Amino acid sequence: MSSRRSLWKYILDEFRRIEQELRSMEEEFYIKLKGVEVMRGCITPLYNVYESGDELIITADMPGTSKEEIDITVGEDYVKIEAPCRSPVRKIGEGKYILHIRLPVEIDQENVKARYKEGVLEIIARKKMKGVKIKVE
Amino acid sequence: MSREIIEIVELEPIVGEDFIVIEGFPDVGLVGTIATSYLAEKLEMVEVGYVESDELPPIVSVRNGKILDLIRIYRKGNLMAFISEIPIPLTLIKPLSQKIIEWAISKKARMIVSLTGMPEPARLNIDIPKVYVLGSTKRVLEEALKVEGVEKFTDGYIAGIKGMIVKESFRRNFDALLVLSQAHFNYPDPGSAAQVLIYLSKLFSITLDVSPLLESAEELKLRLRDLMRRTAQAMQDVQKSRELELPAVYL
Repeated sequence: MSSRRSLWKYILDEFRRIEQELRSMEEEFYIKLKGVEVMRGCITPLYNVYESGDELIITADMPGTSKEEIDITVGEDYVKIEAPCRSPVRKIGEGKYILHIRLPVEIDQENVKARYKEGVLEIIARKKMKGVKIKVE
Repeated sequence: MSREIIEIVELEPIVGEDFIVIEGFPDVGLVGTIATSYLAEKLEMVEVGYVESDELPPIVSVRNGKILDLIRIYRKGNLMAFISEIPIPLTLIKPLSQKIIEWAISKKARMIVSLTGMPEPARLNIDIPKVYVLGSTKRVLEEALKVEGVEKFTDGYIAGIKGMIVKESFRRNFDALLVLSQAHFNYPDPGSAAQVLIYLSKLFSITLDVSPLLESAEELKLRLRDLMRRTAQAMQDVQKSRELELPAVYL
């Protein structure tokens, strides 16, 4: 009975240790992110990358800029976004959005479109499809 | 003597009747957070209490030189609002939801109202987000559906503290109302919060102008970026992405 209890305690302690380690890693990530933002005067926007069928969709939350000022460079496997950010928020002030994303799949650079609406940038790219057609028997 | 994991501390005894307890804890699109804090500011609600727990991170918030707790309670008349500056830690979700319900019952509150966003992947294509409601009892749902334009939430998952509040209230036959508005999953969404506020103003006959909220949307989004980032992390802990799925069984 007591050995079962000590095993249970060991498992619980291990879970707590792992949770603590994850929290520390998370905190380290935030510290580094904020440190870089302050040092370089840049802002890393919140962003998402989704795959949907033969498309790759990237969205980034970039309030305080305009579509004319957003600079997007697209490579086969990366997207680079830069834009000024004008913010009345103290601590942010005038800054610059910089976002480099390494894409999970290669895209066709000729088939990319972007729009900016209510502070959110959306880029839709067609995936580069390589391969041969197989007939189902 | 064992100490309770969580306590609701009243700065002065809160007395009154017919209380409506609104909670806007951070989650999808920070809709609840934005809506509740805007409501508290515009109605000039006053801080009347806070939540105390050893499970909360050892942080104090400082505003204009004033030291503030992380989870605070505000009041104006029969309206009360829980506002949190941090996502609710996983270990606190169940005890806090139960504590809020017990506290609301002890105050003879009329109902608890949870405000939240409903994750909508195509949010960018939606100009005016739809508002949905889920009631813990038939009577609260009937009251909630009297407002024109609102729809009943029928199928899906509700993860995190909002789901726990509505489930526990259902078990206790206590009135709890969940108000959801289509929103960006992990970007602050003031446009969605505005729709929740418009709905609340009609439901409770509150005079509230949301145009200043929409005008300052970009500033708000920037201000809330860090909270959103931390909330997105916390949402993973409660499998919030389940809200994008449909229930897997018929019964």
